[in-house]
Amino acid sequence: MGELLVEKHAKYIITVEKRKDDFESVVMEHLRLNGAYWGLTTLDIMGKLGAVEQDEVISWVMQCQHESGGFGGNIGHDPHLLYTLSAIQVLALFDKLHVLDIDKVSNYIAGLQNEDGSFSGDIWGEVDTRFSYISILSLTLLHRLDKIDVGKAVKYIISCKNVDGGFGCTPGAESHAGQIFCCVAALAITGSLHHVDKDLLGWWLCERQVKSGGLNGRPEKLPDVCCSCDIVISISKSVMSFIDSHVVASQVCYSWWVLSSLIMIDRVHWIDKGKLVQFILDCQDKENGGISDRPDDAVDVFHTYFGVAGLSLLEYPGIKPIDPAYALPVDVVNRVMLGR
Amino acid sequence: MEELDPVELLSYLEGILESDPLIDEIGFIHPSHFASLNEDIGTPSTSVGSVQKKTSGTLFWGRDHKLGISTNVLFPLYVAAKNAFLEAYKNYKVHHRDDKNASSCSSSSPLSLESELMKHSRALLLLSCDFGTAWNSRKLVLSKKQSLSMFMNELIFSSVVLSHSPKSEQTWSQRRWVVKMIAGNCSNLREIMERESELVKKLAERSKMNYRAWYHRCWLVSYMSEEQMLQEFNKSREWAGLHVADNSCFHYRARLMLRLFKESQHSQDQDASFDPELHELLKDEFDWVEKLIKRYVGREALWLHRRFLSTCWIRYFACGDHNRTLPSNPRNIRTVDIDMFIDNELELFCSCTILPDSDFEDYQAQATFAATYMVWLKTQLSGALAIDIQKMETSRLKSLLTNVCPEKSLLWNSLPELCEST
Repeated sequence: MGELLVEKHAKYIITVEKRKDDFESVVMEHLRLNGAYWGLTTLDIMGKLGAVEQDEVISWVMQCQHESGGFGGNIGHDPHLLYTLSAIQVLALFDKLHVLDIDKVSNYIAGLQNEDGSFSGDIWGEVDTRFSYISILSLTLLHRLDKIDVGKAVKYIISCKNVDGGFGCTPGAESHAGQIFCCVAALAITGSLHHVDKDLLGWWLCERQVKSGGLNGRPEKLPDVCCSCDIVISISKSVMSFIDSHVVASQVCYSWWVLSSLIMIDRVHWIDKGKLVQFILDCQDKENGGISDRPDDAVDVFHTYFGVAGLSLLEYPGIKPIDPAYALPVDVVNRVMLGR
Repeated sequence: MEELDPVELLSYLEGILESDPLIDEIGFIHPSHFASLNEDIGTPSTSVGSVQKKTSGTLFWGRDHKLGISTNVLFPLYVAAKNAFLEAYKNYKVHHRDDKNASSCSSSSPLSLESELMKHSRALLLLSCDFGTAWNSRKLVLSKKQSLSMFMNELIFSSVVLSHSPKSEQTWSQRRWVVKMIAGNCSNLREIMERESELVKKLAERSKMNYRAWYHRCWLVSYMSEEQMLQEFNKSREWAGLHVADNSCFHYRARLMLRLFKESQHSQDQDASFDPELHELLKDEFDWVEKLIKRYVGREALWLHRRFLSTCWIRYFACGDHNRTLPSNPRNIRTVDIDMFIDNELELFCSCTILPDSDFEDYQAQATFAATYMVWLKTQLSGALAIDIQKMETSRLKSLLTNVCPEKSLLWNSLPELCEST
C-alpha cells in the first residue's frame, strides 16, 4: 500500500501557485482566492503552512475586498459569496480574522438573503443552496449568525430536499453530492440535522461507492468517454467551477463531499473506508506531487485538496483532522469558535 | 511561430467576431490540426478576413460560421483580452459614476465606452468562459439599456460560449439572468422556453452527465404552463430512451411529473388521484421504464427512476385521500390496484434476479438494483400504507445482495431497512 507523499504535495502546491506563464494557469485567475483556500488548507492539514509567506498572502487577500464588504476571486474582480468565504477561511487559517471589518463583511453577506430564506451569490441574483451554506458558515466563523433569519434559511434548504433523500441547488433540482455536502453542513452548523432523513440519505450516498473503492457524485458509474468534437481539443481543465466540471465517474472530489456528509449524519461506517483510502492514494502523482481526479490523470490543486482532506476524514495517520462541516482543520475551528 | 503583437491579435479576433455575427460555434485547435482541417475541405480557409496571408491559415480557422483559434495564441490573446476588458470596464464604471453625479466630464462618449466593453468582454469570455466579472459587466450594460434585442443577442452569444464549454456554470447563469429579465415583458416566452430546452438537449448530446445544463432545463419548468410541461414530458422521452445512463434526463422527467401532479392538486382542490390523465401518464412511464430495464441490463438511472415512480404512485394514487381511509374506500379500487401493483413489481424483481451461468457484471448489477428497489418499495409501502410485502422476506433480499454485491456488505449489514426483524 502506498503512502501519502506529504513533501511532494507541499512542493507541488507552492510551485503551482507561482505559475503564471501558460494559458492553463492564467485562465484560472478569476478564482484564485478559492485556489488559495484549497492550497493553504491542504498545507495546513499536512503541517506545512509555515512554508508560506503569510503577510504576502494576507495583504493580497485584503486587496480582493470591495467597498461592499464582499471579496472578488482576485484583485479587480467583482465580489461574490464564493470568494468571500474563501477569504474568511484563509484568514482563519492564519489566525488573522481580526484584520477584517467584521460588520462590513457580515452586512454584505446578510444583505444577500432573500425573502424566502435563500441566498443570492451576489447582486445579480443567482440562487443556490451552496450560497446558503457559504453564508451560514461565514457568519458563524465571524460570530454574526444573528444577522440573518436562520429559521428561514433552514426552511429553504429543506425545500430543496428530493424524494431520494438528497439535495439540489434549488427546489426540484437533481441531487448531487456537492450540493448535499453544502446542505447537510449548513444544517449541521445550525443544529438542524433532525430535518435530514439520515438512513435514506446515507443509503443514497453509499450507493455512490463503486467497485474501485472510489465514489461518484451522482448515479451511474459509466465512465462515458467524452465524445467532444475531435477537431476541437478542450483544454479547459480550468472550468472546475466548484461543482461538476467533468464526466461523472468515481473521482477524488466526491470522496470529500460524500464522506463529510456521511460523517455528519453518522453513517460513515456504511462504506468501505480502506478501499477509499487506497483509491485516493492511487491518484497521487508519485513523481511531482499533487493528486488527480482519478488514477493517471493530470493533477491540480482542487483535487489535491479534496484528496488530502478526504484522507484526513478517514483518519489517515500523520495529518491533522479536518472538520467535515467547516471544511477547516479542527484546531482552527476550535480556535475561532471556542477561543482555543 | 512568429511573434505577434498580442494587441494586434486581439483586434484581429474582434474583427472576425464583428464581421460574422452568425458565428455559432467556437473551438480551440492544435496547430497540427489546421492542415488536416483545410485538407478535409479541399481549399484553405478564407472566410476569416484580411490578416496577412502567412499567419491567417495557422492562427484562426473559420468556415460556415464556425471559428477555430490556435492553441498557440491562447495565452497572449487571453492576456490582451483581459487587459482590454479591465480597462474598458473601469472607464465604463467611471463614466456612469460621473453620470450619476450629474457632472459628466468623460472624454469618450457613453456609446463608445459601452461598445468597447461589450466587444472586449465578448472576446475574453470566448477564451475564459467562467470569468464572472466579464459576464457581470455585460449584465450592467444590458440592465441599463433594457433593450429586448440586446437581451436576445446575449442568448445567442452565450450559446456560442456553451458550444465550446457546455458545462460553464457562469454562462448558464447568464442565460437565467436574461430569461428573468425578459420573462415579464415578452410575448413569446413560450417560444424562448422551447429554444432553451432544445439547446440543453443539443448540448447534453455532446457532453454527457452535464449537471449544469440539465439544471438549467429543470429551472425553466417554473416558467412553463401545464400544457408546455406535458409537451416537454413527451418530447424528452425519446432522448431519455437513447441515453439510459444519463440520470439527469430522468430527473428532468421526474421534475415535470411532480409539477404536473402539484398543479393538478391545486386546480382541482383535491388529490391528483382522481385525475385519470395523470394516472395514465404515470402508468405509461412505469411500462416504458420496465421495457428499458429489461432491454438495458444493469443501468442504475433506470432503477432509480422506478423508485421515484413507485413513491409517486404511492403518494398520489394509492393513498391520495388526506385522511387515508383506504380500507373503507367504497369501490375498493385502490386495494385492488395496490395488489396488482405489488404483483407486477415482484414479477419484475424475479425476472431481473435470474443470473446467467457465466457471471456477467451487468447481470450482477441488475440483480443488485432489483433487490435494492425491492427494499425501497417495502420501505415506502410500510411507511405510507402500513402494507408489508409478505411474499418478499427481508432476509432473502439481504442474502441476495450480499451474494451479488459483496463489496457493499457494510451497507447491507447496516441499512435498517435490511435489519428489521424478520
